[in-house]
Amino acid sequence: MSGNSFHPQVKQLLDGEITLADLPPALRAEGEEALHLLAAVDREPVTFPGLDTRILAELRRRADSPSFWRRLVTPREVRLRVRPWTLVPALAAALALVLVLARPAATPASSPVTVRFVLFAPDAHDVSLAGTFNQWDPAATPLLRTGTPGVWSATLILPAGQHQYAFVVDGARWVADPGAPAVDDGFGRRNSVLSL
Amino acid sequence: MKTLRAFLLLALVGGGTALHAQDVSARLAGRVSPEVAAQVQRLATAAAARGLPVDPLIQKAIEGTAKGVPADRITAAVRALAGQLDVAAAALSRAGPAHPDTDAIAAGAFALNAGLSDANVTDLARVSAPRHTEAATLRVAGTLAAMGVPATQTVELVTQVIAAGGESADVVALPAQVTAGVSHGQGVTPAQAAAGLARAAAARANAPGQQRPRPSHP
Repeated sequence: MSGNSFHPQVKQLLDGEITLADLPPALRAEGEEALHLLAAVDREPVTFPGLDTRILAELRRRADSPSFWRRLVTPREVRLRVRPWTLVPALAAALALVLVLARPAATPASSPVTVRFVLFAPDAHDVSLAGTFNQWDPAATPLLRTGTPGVWSATLILPAGQHQYAFVVDGARWVADPGAPAVDDGFGRRNSVLSL
Repeated sequence: MKTLRAFLLLALVGGGTALHAQDVSARLAGRVSPEVAAQVQRLATAAAARGLPVDPLIQKAIEGTAKGVPADRITAAVRALAGQLDVAAAALSRAGPAHPDTDAIAAGAFALNAGLSDANVTDLARVSAPRHTEAATLRVAGTLAAMGVPATQTVELVTQVIAAGGESADVVALPAQVTAGVSHGQGVTPAQAAAGLARAAAARANAPGQQRPRPSHP
């Protein structure tokens, strides 16, 4: 018999539900052994000499060195000595903050906008788009042929705001968008303007 | 102590300039020739010291290089653009803030390039405050001018829409409305479409409960 696999009736005996006499004769020996083991259990309280003293000492130590947060929230007397010149930067910062907050909000259309660029160039071998949105890189945004002969297009998602651009035909010829307003590019050509 | 403070101030200013120079140099590296990069770096540093935006100058140099423009013409175009930024900044300063923000200055330079005068820029900056940003108003005005709307009509249209209580979205929508007017009308020019929109806005502005347009030159 192992120590933790008593017969259910023996367990009832240990629980005080029945007496030893109630057990069938075949289980009496097991019941007596179980009662013997139970009686042998030491019920004296366990004591740790000096434990109380050590706990109290630790509590006193913690009380003497409060935590950072406790020190932060503990009320204390603070004396301020204001020097007028030190207020100047603080007032300037506060004024700047007020001016910034008082400015009207930026244009509400700040979400990206999907734009389709279309160029009719029947003789072109390749067409691309270069502008402020892709660092004027002619290789960055190629246009694709559409189903209609001679029509090239590209669809981009651009941030709201103003963009300038031009089509680049066959890698060399810079062409303004005929369907968009244009401004002088400073180099003798025109840049198309897109305001979103 | 005073020496220390002065040293810290100089270190801050010097550090900012050094960072700015590094930023310009990094953005130009590999995109423009070393000759153009050196010239633009010098122009950008001087522009930044005057409170001007440097991004348009960098973009113009990159654009010129991409278009295969000779270095001396790129430098000339960047220098001309820096001049336009100066004019725009002065025009905005006349409207109110002594140091206008760089976004507004860039938008002002665009408007000048599109055909508006510095007086137009000042007027538009005045009508923008306080409900609209100068930058957005000037970008719209520049776009209208680029579409072919005469400068005086452009200023009139934007002023009327703002005076009628128009929101920022209403102002931003003006170029599309002019385009629609041209597309739908029989032989209607951008100027005529803009004039029609301005009349409609004026009628709204003069309706009871609406504020009157501000005078251009108080």
